[in-house]
Amino acid sequence: MDQRGVAMSSDFSLFERHLDALYRSALRLTRKPEDAEDLVQETYLRAYRYRNRFKPGTNEKAWLFTIMTNVFRNRLRQRPAPEDPIDQPGADFSIYEQLRREGMPVHLMSPEEIIVDRGFGGEVKRALEELPVPMRMVVVLVDVEDFSYKEVASILGIKIGTVMSRLHRGRQALQKKLWEYSGRPKAPSLAVGAR
Amino acid sequence: MGDHCEQTMRRLSTYIDRELSEAEVRKVKAHLDDCPPCEQVFDFQAEMKRLVRKECCTDDAPMRLRAWVRQLATEKPKPAK
Repeated sequence: MDQRGVAMSSDFSLFERHLDALYRSALRLTRKPEDAEDLVQETYLRAYRYRNRFKPGTNEKAWLFTIMTNVFRNRLRQRPAPEDPIDQPGADFSIYEQLRREGMPVHLMSPEEIIVDRGFGGEVKRALEELPVPMRMVVVLVDVEDFSYKEVASILGIKIGTVMSRLHRGRQALQKKLWEYSGRPKAPSLAVGAR
Repeated sequence: MGDHCEQTMRRLSTYIDRELSEAEVRKVKAHLDDCPPCEQVFDFQAEMKRLVRKECCTDDAPMRLRAWVRQLATEKPKPAK
């Protein structure tokens, strides 16, 4: 077991150390500071109410995120948004590959030169917040919060294979959006396996 | 693109996420050391992951929310062991 977010005691005050993580993720999920704050408050209230169910020595951060993603999904159900197209395979897209196809000498450039200098870096949060919720949750939990695939599967109650496919499609969709925000024409789809 | 390149590209995300077994990590590493085009794709995708984290970590919880959580933690005595 790794040491990410593991507490040795059920002392509730220890849960405060994950507040910034919960808040920034709540912000990506709800997109609004007041809704994020509300979501985090309900998460802590529930964690407090059920604190005796927390097993000391297990991953408290994962436990808090399980509560928060459940609360969030319940709220979404009460205010149904248009169905997000999830689990269908999407067309492959990568900024790197697209630039290479367009003849840019990407092999001579550092990743920072490609991302920052070419204008792909500025709107990551916006791009993330526009991803369909299921993909967004997985990308946030893995890329921002550094949870393992196994932990994310347990937090969201989905299979590891589903975590991986949502992550894969989420990251590609993110790059597609960054591509479009940079003012380039709509991202063309790359045929799978056509390298 | 050779077989090794294709295998490496298929495993690239799991490699970047540190989800591969040690044996698989060695294989991917060995290929990346040998194959600059694949290494560049790796560098780019790893940087994208860092960028997502860096951009999202700038939002800290508001002070009043922190104060509220602290108060909740001290509201009642800790459950007896």
